Amino acid sequence: MIDLQAVSASMHGREVLRDISLTIGAEEVVAIVGPSGAGKSTLLRVVLGFIAPTHGTVRIGQTVVSVNGRLTVPAEERGLAMVFQDLALWPHMTAREHLQFAGAAGPRIEALLQRVGLRGKEDRRPAQLSGGERQRVALARALAGDPAALLLDEPLSNVDVALRRELIALLRELLSERKRPVLLVIHDLREATALANRVAVIEAGRLVQVGAIAELEARPASKFVEALLADTTGGNRTCSSSSHPHT
Amino acid sequence: MAASMGRALRHAEEHLALAAAGSVICVTALLPLVAVIAGAPLSGLGPLASATPWLVLLRSCALAAAVTACALLLGVPLGLLLGRADIPGSSAALLLHALPMFVPPFLLALGWFYLPHPDALFTPAGAIVVEAIAFTPIVTALVALGVQAIDPSMEEAGRLSAPPWKVAFRIILPVTWPAAALGALLVFALSLSELGVPMFLRVRSYPAAVFARLGAIDFAPGEAAVLATPLVAVALLLLAVERRIGARRSFAVLGLRNEDRPALDLGRLRRLATLACWAAAAVSVLPIAGLARRAFEGDGFGNIGDWIGAGIWNSAIPAALAATLLTGVGLVLGRAFAHDRPGSTWLDGLVVLAFVTPAAVLGVGIIDVWNRPSTHALYRTIAILVIGFAARYAVIPARAIAVAVAQGSPHLEEAAAVQGAGFFARLWHVVIPLHRRALFGAWLLAFVFCLRDLETVILFYPPGKAPLTVRILTLEANGPPAVVAALSLIQCGMVGAAVIAGALALKGARR
Repeated sequence: MIDLQAVSASMHGREVLRDISLTIGAEEVVAIVGPSGAGKSTLLRVVLGFIAPTHGTVRIGQTVVSVNGRLTVPAEERGLAMVFQDLALWPHMTAREHLQFAGAAGPRIEALLQRVGLRGKEDRRPAQLSGGERQRVALARALAGDPAALLLDEPLSNVDVALRRELIALLRELLSERKRPVLLVIHDLREATALANRVAVIEAGRLVQVGAIAELEARPASKFVEALLADTTGGNRTCSSSSHPHT
Repeated sequence: MAASMGRALRHAEEHLALAAAGSVICVTALLPLVAVIAGAPLSGLGPLASATPWLVLLRSCALAAAVTACALLLGVPLGLLLGRADIPGSSAALLLHALPMFVPPFLLALGWFYLPHPDALFTPAGAIVVEAIAFTPIVTALVALGVQAIDPSMEEAGRLSAPPWKVAFRIILPVTWPAAALGALLVFALSLSELGVPMFLRVRSYPAAVFARLGAIDFAPGEAAVLATPLVAVALLLLAVERRIGARRSFAVLGLRNEDRPALDLGRLRRLATLACWAAAAVSVLPIAGLARRAFEGDGFGNIGDWIGAGIWNSAIPAALAATLLTGVGLVLGRAFAHDRPGSTWLDGLVVLAFVTPAAVLGVGIIDVWNRPSTHALYRTIAILVIGFAARYAVIPARAIAVAVAQGSPHLEEAAAVQGAGFFARLWHVVIPLHRRALFGAWLLAFVFCLRDLETVILFYPPGKAPLTVRILTLEANGPPAVVAALSLIQCGMVGAAVIAGALALKGARR
């Protein structure tokens, strides 16, 4: 479980997150949506331990990891994993070395590479892989250390439509196999509903609404949520919250 | 007819500009190098027939290798600490540590001499220590810039499963190694080229042996050309290494995210690391303190007017002219290299070769090419100093501008081209305004390097036009020590004033 209680955070003297309270259950996938600059990525960095919240408490499981301006547990000891928006692959390491660095060893590496479809390419560096293969390395690395929770920052941005479909299918399989809390920043509500149980909408650093997509549709809390839903409906939404394997 | 010719000329603008920039490089740098290589067999290979010059060359290479090893051992951890760790006052420490980079190394040797020093100062080990302190900041600065340019998310991805020290060794350092390797290459080239430190410390070196053949007593320019040829081979080897480790990878700052990130947490080691960084900064400025002490104790500034002559102007004017010429050339060449234009890689290789070639080779070549009755109008004026500076330091503004252009979006210039703007219009209305700070920074770097030069121009400065560095070296043998120290401080002050004025101007331009 990831639990945020009354979390606020500032960057460069500006308050970026205000009084956020959100709990992600043990096997739950929560998608965070919101306009650019709303504080979505900052929220992930607070959970990861790269930013200390100015106020509030962050718990992972039963452990308080950040409280009122202090990081009580450093990033490397939180047992979390992240798929970065720009993937953040290390140019000097092969796919296998990425997994080794993240804590996997022996047959587990082979199994993970097999699972994400990278067998035969384990000794290639990022520059020798295609865009889709790099996404898979980033995903495999995130799963390599058997993390307590998984965070994904726009994992489907910068990929073409065909690859996006393929990655959504892979992500859904992986998330259903490994039941753990997942916090996902995503741009497109259609993709959010394909992957998440609940959607959390952030605007200007505040959490304006949290709920299943049906709840958002029934009682949109702001004009932004209305616009988001209108876009999604207009865009022929094919997946609904019920399509998620956890539900 | 006239309209079609005008159109053709407009289409050829970029090629013509690159050809003009290339011509400057070829005339200043390539001609002297060719003259040395082609002229050596004509003079006979006699001077290289004995083992002595080869042993001296080996000794010089070993000295340069030792300086490089020291610079790497000190510069890489310092760069990492000052670039990324939570060291109190890290910017100030880096600035102080970097100061010797802008001062002629022999002034540092002089400074150490004026401080209480062991007899070992006048041995190869002393020369290694003095040069290591002079050149380590090059590695430190490149590594510090390199670690700051790493995408923060690469570090964060590592931090999720590893402690900071493991991230530093397994991720940050390997990603930064091209910067460290480039630093090592520069240090080796500069150390092999160094003339003032070995001459002052009475340590035999190959450039000094070449220089001796151009002195008044043993004047034998043919022999100097022959002796210079093995250094061309060393320079070509250095160029090959640079092509392998550097070249386009020098643009590794591409994709730089200006996002703040937490400093590397050193934990219990923080105090020790802080002490080490500030000790390095203090050691770097100690020789300048030695110069100041000698100058003020002996009233060196009292009658400095009798000794300084036109040294300041002889340094500043050709340095400013050369920096201006090189910034113009660098704008065309750097932009072409950043956009991978045909011929630009070849020209970039040439400017790198001219920089890594020991200055003695360029000096001998420049004398051979320009010391002729038909070119005396240039050879006997400060124009020859400008040519010498242009030959040696073209790489500095060219690479600085290439990095700046490569970091910008190519679409900005393409948008102007779509609107019908020709090459020069794009340069004037888009590239120059967009990169004006980088252009000024490139000019300043070139100016400072020309200002601190000794080893290139000492071989051919015109009578009565000796730059201040040359004047200090010649006075050092028989001038009053306090005056020599005072002149050295003026040299440091000139460079310091240029750097501070430039930094303030750049800061103002950012607002």
